[in-house]
Amino acid sequence: MTSGTGGAAVRTATSAEGGAPAQQHRARRQEDPVTTTAGESTSTTGTARPGWRDRLADPGTWAELAAPVGLVVLVVLFQVLDPTFLTLGNVEAMLAAAAILVVLATGQTFTVATGGIDLAVASTMTFSAVMFGVVFGAGAPVAACIAVALVSGLLFGLVQGLIIGYGRITDFIVTIGGLSIASGLALVVSDGQPQTVISGFMLRLSTGGVGVIGYPVLVALVVAALAHVLLFHTRFGTHVLAAGGSPEAATATGISTRRVKTAVYTLSGTCAGIAGVLLVARIGAAEPAANTQFLLNAVASVVLGGVALMGGRANIAGPLFGALLLTALTNGLTLLGVSQFFQPVAVGSVVVLAAFLSRYQR
Amino acid sequence: MSSTATADPRPLGPPDPSGEVLLSARGVSLSFGSVRALKDVDLDLRAGEITAIVGDNGAGKSTFVKCVSGVYRPDAGAMTLGGESIAFADPQEARRAGIETVHQSLALVEDLAVWQNLYLNRELTKGVGPLRVLDRRAMKSGARDMVSGLSVNVPSTTARVRRLSGGQRQAVAICRAAGFSSRLVIMDEPTAALGVQETERVEALIRRLRDDGRAVLLVSHNFAQVMRLSDQVWVMRSGRCAAGRRTAETTGEEIVALITGAQSS
Amino acid sequence: MTRPSLRPLSFAVLPVLVLASACGGEEAPSTSGGGGGDGEVRVAAVIKGLDNPFFQAMQQGLEEGAATEGVEVEVQAAQSITDTTGQAERLTALAQQSYDCYVVNPITGNNLVQGLAQLPDGAPVVNIDQPVDDEAAQAAGLEISTYIGTDNEAAGALGGEHMVELLGGSGTVGLIAGVAGDVTSAARIDGFSQAASGLDLLPAVSADWNRQQALTAATDIITANPDIRGFFAANDDMGLGIARAVADAGLQDQVAVISVDGNEDALQAVADGSLAATVAQYPYAVGELGVQACAQLAAGEDVPEQVDAPVALVTPDVAQQAIDAFPSPFEDGASTATPSSGS
Repeated sequence: MTSGTGGAAVRTATSAEGGAPAQQHRARRQEDPVTTTAGESTSTTGTARPGWRDRLADPGTWAELAAPVGLVVLVVLFQVLDPTFLTLGNVEAMLAAAAILVVLATGQTFTVATGGIDLAVASTMTFSAVMFGVVFGAGAPVAACIAVALVSGLLFGLVQGLIIGYGRITDFIVTIGGLSIASGLALVVSDGQPQTVISGFMLRLSTGGVGVIGYPVLVALVVAALAHVLLFHTRFGTHVLAAGGSPEAATATGISTRRVKTAVYTLSGTCAGIAGVLLVARIGAAEPAANTQFLLNAVASVVLGGVALMGGRANIAGPLFGALLLTALTNGLTLLGVSQFFQPVAVGSVVVLAAFLSRYQR
Repeated sequence: MSSTATADPRPLGPPDPSGEVLLSARGVSLSFGSVRALKDVDLDLRAGEITAIVGDNGAGKSTFVKCVSGVYRPDAGAMTLGGESIAFADPQEARRAGIETVHQSLALVEDLAVWQNLYLNRELTKGVGPLRVLDRRAMKSGARDMVSGLSVNVPSTTARVRRLSGGQRQAVAICRAAGFSSRLVIMDEPTAALGVQETERVEALIRRLRDDGRAVLLVSHNFAQVMRLSDQVWVMRSGRCAAGRRTAETTGEEIVALITGAQSS
Repeated sequence: MTRPSLRPLSFAVLPVLVLASACGGEEAPSTSGGGGGDGEVRVAAVIKGLDNPFFQAMQQGLEEGAATEGVEVEVQAAQSITDTTGQAERLTALAQQSYDCYVVNPITGNNLVQGLAQLPDGAPVVNIDQPVDDEAAQAAGLEISTYIGTDNEAAGALGGEHMVELLGGSGTVGLIAGVAGDVTSAARIDGFSQAASGLDLLPAVSADWNRQQALTAATDIITANPDIRGFFAANDDMGLGIARAVADAGLQDQVAVISVDGNEDALQAVADGSLAATVAQYPYAVGELGVQACAQLAAGEDVPEQVDAPVALVTPDVAQQAIDAFPSPFEDGASTATPSSGS
């Protein structure tokens, strides 16, 4: 059951940008006269959907699939160069290494979807981790430590969100400030000292799992799944995309962009809190490290995932694949013994390539 | 065929008895600081009619329209909708009362689909409490109904608005305004950016809105369009409503004269 | 062990120091002709970032040393151990404030050269830990009174020698460096590599001084080299991350991890057995020596051009002693030096 007008109009509309006069003209000639029945008009020119060949030829498709395709290419390449790449142990290690990044990138996706960015996301994670450590060092049970970490991240994100949403200050500036404040708070609260965390639960969290899928990976997948539902299956998610795609249209239809902005930074902070817990589990300590690499990789994952930095277009699977891609890249280069000076070049090149591809997004 | 043009813009006897007065404004005034944007504006809109407001730049057309749609609140005067007096605090209240506006910028989100735009901030959901999720199927089907009900020409309701032409976008915006039991649809220069063919389409759509029984308020600089489309024309000049005419009983030249003040009313 | 926190507190500490020294605290050994003019000798110190316990210990050494010497010290640190320009700015700011002596621990060989050129005339410069690049200093016409430090290459070499011992002369060893291009990291790795040249050394992987990154890198290296026998890390934080990776892989009995720094956590790890050894560089002692040198220079005395600060290989058998003596060097195995006993 098709709706609307004839198939030719669909094909011309989907295989080219906008409405060039010649194509519009063709569409008008070929379409059926408009009817007033419930949208069931038949096409005079054959199938309505663009063929898969058209899709492959369209650079827009590649742009959207950059991350998954890149990941596959990378996996094949590395496996050929070093067969230990796809061994169970290595895959398990890669997934575990990617979990924290996936959680950060997921939170970041929401802020970027509204046309903003959370530059404090890694520092918020550090702050949450340190708060875990402080409470742990005071002898509290692990559950309380986890709760404190999550709440710390949430509150920090909330404060940033309120300043950005209601204070109307640019997110870039607020989160740059937030980055310093969170790092500084982490240093102050921890007195600059790492806090060793020895806990059976945390150890199981970090080393246990289901087969090749470690618990941290499961946590990351659950976070991503929830985020996907939130973004694509709730009113809030649609409002996030609207607020990012056209704040003016959103306001005109009565959406409070302020509330949306506050909410997405709170989400990002909460994800940072979750990531903080995973980080403490992974290294067995809560320390006020800068974690700058995580920030860069989180933003890179989001870009690789086809999320527009201008806002309005987002998805969760893309950044997830982006995070996997970056982790696999580092892992493969290490396995191959590539010089430490060359690794950053490789990683940066991949990110730039992804950004270049994103220009072709439809 | 006597000219019923008088200085008194009180409701004129409707040629079509089904056209009841839907919105009525009396003595509406509004100032911005020392600038008196609207002075004692009196006019009526009828259901089932296309009413045009014309006037030179700065005459107060947009300002008046914004009073109707709830963006501004008049300093003085009264407005009634369907006989009940109204005073909107914000555009959302106006929407709830059935007054929809098609903005000049269209207020569409390019990267969302047609159906998502149609239901923007009015999304249908299923489920209960915190587990409420979007009812995408219902919305897509509802969108198809809205679109075909007005015979709007879009390739598919799942197409992103970015892919639509100017005229198609305009149609979607009008469709949204018309689609939610709105009683009055306000349009500001709806075809200003469109080519000839698309303008025809949009005008046909506007007529369908009227034929479905809604009142349409049209602000336009395009006299030919005003003469083609409208049933009633109100001329604004310097913040006042200078004159009102039944379109059938006037000419483009007279309208121009009324706008410039060559003819007083 | 609590440390005084950052700047605000040190401002409060200074008047206390003044009072304490006025009340007959220990004076500097030389009493001939008060070189500092009227009032206390004021020393400014610029060190690397305080986000690393190594430099926190250095700060503590500077401050407690100042208290002992009866001088005032103002310690400023870069925002992080990678913030080269920030550190230079702090030095420049301090240069405007006419201190009597400057103690500098630059992040790279060059980043403080310009700042040093702006110091008030005649103010002596004491270079600690990380050497200022010779050529650059000469080109800028700088006069550095003394260098006090542990040669990072020598520290790495100590680690390398021990690794050769532990591995019985052969085996594969992974190398984890700090930020790629960092001079301290490069020196430690080079020192290790030369001393352990008989072993099968893998190409160095940089982990940005970060524990998590080191853990990930070590895990990957273990995957690529399942029969690996050892790891060398350019600092303790990374060493601890590697130790965790080794433990996660269940290879504690097969792999020895050696790192450089001598932080408390690392000493404890050596005592517990997760680290095979750490090369302690006693930043506390370096800081203390630095401020002592300043006190002497300000009093008009000479100091040797170079002072080797203590460095010690901490193995499990001496770990407890090291912990007990922390942050000062413990006797066994450390070569202590004071400015007056030259080289």
